[in-house]
Amino acid sequence: MSETEAPAGVQSSMDFHPQPRSGTPKPWAFPTPERGTLPNGLTVLRCHRPGQEVVAVEVNLLAPLDAEPEGLDGVATIMARALNEGTDKHDAEEFAAELERCGATLDSHADHPGVRVSLEVPVSRLPKALGLMADALRAPAFPDSEIERLVANRLDEIPHELANPARRAAKELSHELFPAESRMSRPRQGTEETVRGIDAAAVRAFYEAHVRPATATAVVVGDLEGVDLDAALTDTLGAWKGSTAEPRPMPPISADDSGRVVIVDRPGAVQTQLLIGRIGADRHDRVWPAQLLGVYCLGGTLTSRLDRVLREEKGYTYGVRSFGQVLRSTPEGTGAAMLAISGSVATDVTGPALADLWQVLRTLAAEGLTDEERDVAVRNLVGVAPLRYETAAAVAGTLADQVEQFLPDDFQGQLYARLAETGTVEATAAAVNALPADRLVTILVGDASQIADPVRELGIGEVKVVTGG
Amino acid sequence: MGHTATPPATGGLTATEHRLANGLRVVLSEDHLTPVAAVCLWYDVGSRHEVEGRTGLAHLFEHLMFQGSAQVKGNGHFELVQGAGGSLNGTTSFERTNYFETMPAHELELALWLEADRMGSLLSALDEESMDNQRDVVKNERRQRYDNVPYGTAFERMTAMVFPEGHPYHHTPIGSMADLDAASLEDARAFFRTYYAPNNAVLAIVGDIDPEQALAWADKYFGSIPGHEGKQAPRDGDLPGIMGEEKREVVEEDVPSRAMMAAYRLPQDGTREADAADLALTALGGGESSRLYARLVRHDRTAVAAGFGLLRLAGAPSLGWLDVKASGGAEVADIQAAVDEELRRFAEEGPTEEEMERAQAQLEREWLDRLATVGGRADELCRYAVLFGDPQLALTAVGRVLDVTREEVRAAAAERLRPDNRAVLVYEPLDNNDEETGQ
Repeated sequence: MSETEAPAGVQSSMDFHPQPRSGTPKPWAFPTPERGTLPNGLTVLRCHRPGQEVVAVEVNLLAPLDAEPEGLDGVATIMARALNEGTDKHDAEEFAAELERCGATLDSHADHPGVRVSLEVPVSRLPKALGLMADALRAPAFPDSEIERLVANRLDEIPHELANPARRAAKELSHELFPAESRMSRPRQGTEETVRGIDAAAVRAFYEAHVRPATATAVVVGDLEGVDLDAALTDTLGAWKGSTAEPRPMPPISADDSGRVVIVDRPGAVQTQLLIGRIGADRHDRVWPAQLLGVYCLGGTLTSRLDRVLREEKGYTYGVRSFGQVLRSTPEGTGAAMLAISGSVATDVTGPALADLWQVLRTLAAEGLTDEERDVAVRNLVGVAPLRYETAAAVAGTLADQVEQFLPDDFQGQLYARLAETGTVEATAAAVNALPADRLVTILVGDASQIADPVRELGIGEVKVVTGG
Repeated sequence: MGHTATPPATGGLTATEHRLANGLRVVLSEDHLTPVAAVCLWYDVGSRHEVEGRTGLAHLFEHLMFQGSAQVKGNGHFELVQGAGGSLNGTTSFERTNYFETMPAHELELALWLEADRMGSLLSALDEESMDNQRDVVKNERRQRYDNVPYGTAFERMTAMVFPEGHPYHHTPIGSMADLDAASLEDARAFFRTYYAPNNAVLAIVGDIDPEQALAWADKYFGSIPGHEGKQAPRDGDLPGIMGEEKREVVEEDVPSRAMMAAYRLPQDGTREADAADLALTALGGGESSRLYARLVRHDRTAVAAGFGLLRLAGAPSLGWLDVKASGGAEVADIQAAVDEELRRFAEEGPTEEEMERAQAQLEREWLDRLATVGGRADELCRYAVLFGDPQLALTAVGRVLDVTREEVRAAAAERLRPDNRAVLVYEPLDNNDEETGQ
């Protein structure tokens, strides 16, 4: 066996050919939806995607977590889940059965910007499933006994989440970053204490105050040829009535990102879960495309800088990623994104892995990205668009995110153009500003007796150990 | 039959099958809706081919396939695909190893060139350094996905009970830490020489392609890779359909709640009985209107989650996997009594017409989802070509599920979902870890 680079060394050799050149790209553009408003004030975005037989419908409700009453964290989550638990036409079990009969799924969840209700259904059953979705939004039953069950169920889930190292780390990071009075400092789905206080009356009150067609948007994506969508909407979501409402002001987001380390002690853990983050620019900020590009070069994939060292050179991890996740985004600039690095490393190499990670950040700041890194990243981020948006659900998800973040409908399309124009220097600056080595809050979920001392020696900030969970 | 959902949406799809002179089977399927093309390569080798003391080798080897080959340096496979706007990965299961790229249509040729280069010349680049590095990566994968998460080793434990010692499916693809440590570079080389050959693989190319051109490229890049007949068949996976006695293991661990899990031996994939079993599991535990969810979560309120899943296996009995996480202080004995009562009742009555309609609609939806992307379609075509000899079966699979009768579903449940045909795994939490700080 030859150790040289020449293909000639291969036994029973194949014929080698030079790397092929690319063919001619075919045009593809992120679809632009058609925007309209129903008489009840519901905004509708529709988008025809030929061949997509499973239609995706996303409804955004302007019911943000920040609107939850004091001490009732989790009421938005319980309300979102209770939308599936019966209407004025069907009880909870019948409702679930009717959905499954359509081959449909209906999921709802509450997050900082609002509640999202997602329906997916084969196109032939779209009108029927839209009817069920509309019933859930228009006339949810919120029966006492089902709410009680959802509350008990939610209480049961909490210990499962805390046992998961990644979830536990996320909870601790929010707690560290945001001021205690900010809703963002506390778990999205509430704590044991707050969830315990939720009842059907609280759920109904939250619904009455924050769910109405005038502040909601429905995004419908799929193969809509041969579907009379106007008629289907009029009979379903169009029949939903509600008052108008003043828009809620969004409080600005602040965070304390002075460099420090919190270890959540897990005696005997074979790995340390890392979550290293702060907050930064969201999609309304001009720097967003450069930040997306720079953060991708740092840790978007296994050929990015972090994994090149931590995984492919050192074998410390199965993978470490850096990313920006929008918490809330507004045209007034009061939004923010969580910018973070996450992954898990073997317990015994936690210190060396963090030392390498910080070295990667310092090298990036000192030397910048290379043009080649920037080019490959742009080709990937822009080039994968037709793959990423093959299904109706993917397109609907992005359109609904844009609505939720008060962005124009052509934002994603424009983003691809802006990425292509972003240079290496801008991308470097954005990545270094996003994740500066001296302003990061580090959460480590792992065995403190093994990792605390090596981490203290790194000088990445004061180290605090918390127990439990 | 009560089925009223959409007609199978696979109607419009077609595929053609070809064979190169070296034995590589090539499956082509055209679809010009989006300018993307998927390449999927299934090698007919999985963890069932591993020998004692070398568990995890097939999966570790899959990682090595991304470490470069004669014309592709280091991480070049990832870099070139991603730089071309593509996405890629590989996975290893009991029965096969797959590698796949989804590319913008005009970059299809690059993906074929890359796959051919490693199929034909991996050993010229494979060295001790990448072996040691990827061994560490895989050990961290094992820690992250199995050892460092609550209930993480449940699947491994149940598999080991359902398939006896020495059976090719007794161990799962991730393998043991000791065996991963023991694997040598020579083991990896021998594994490649034995199983990585064109006549032990199926290549599917799906999407916005010109079939003639795609086939010409397949021949150009793969056609000169010599085939060989040195492959060792996996050990026989046949087992009696019924285990004959209930197996049981109780694990005391640092988990957040009690759990009752169970794995049942079910009919092998590719049979009508497997489709019937799939429908039975769906009616019993596939969603919020299923019988077990309704009973345990809604009515008894003894569970926080309850569901059934099916792992279809072609070379051994399939696995039906029940997973119930207990609520609050609920006792496993009560949960198990309720599960057994529901299974017994289902075995006697079978599904109602409505339950049958719902189960079929759900499975049809899952098929539509799997076939909705070119990558998903390529993977299914490979699956039917490798495991059942005919890729066309992928395009008619949903029709077969819709053809099953209620009586067949009842019979599948009556024959298989019984206490003497399962391995039960019970988790009891340790009671020393309930303080929580910070909030």
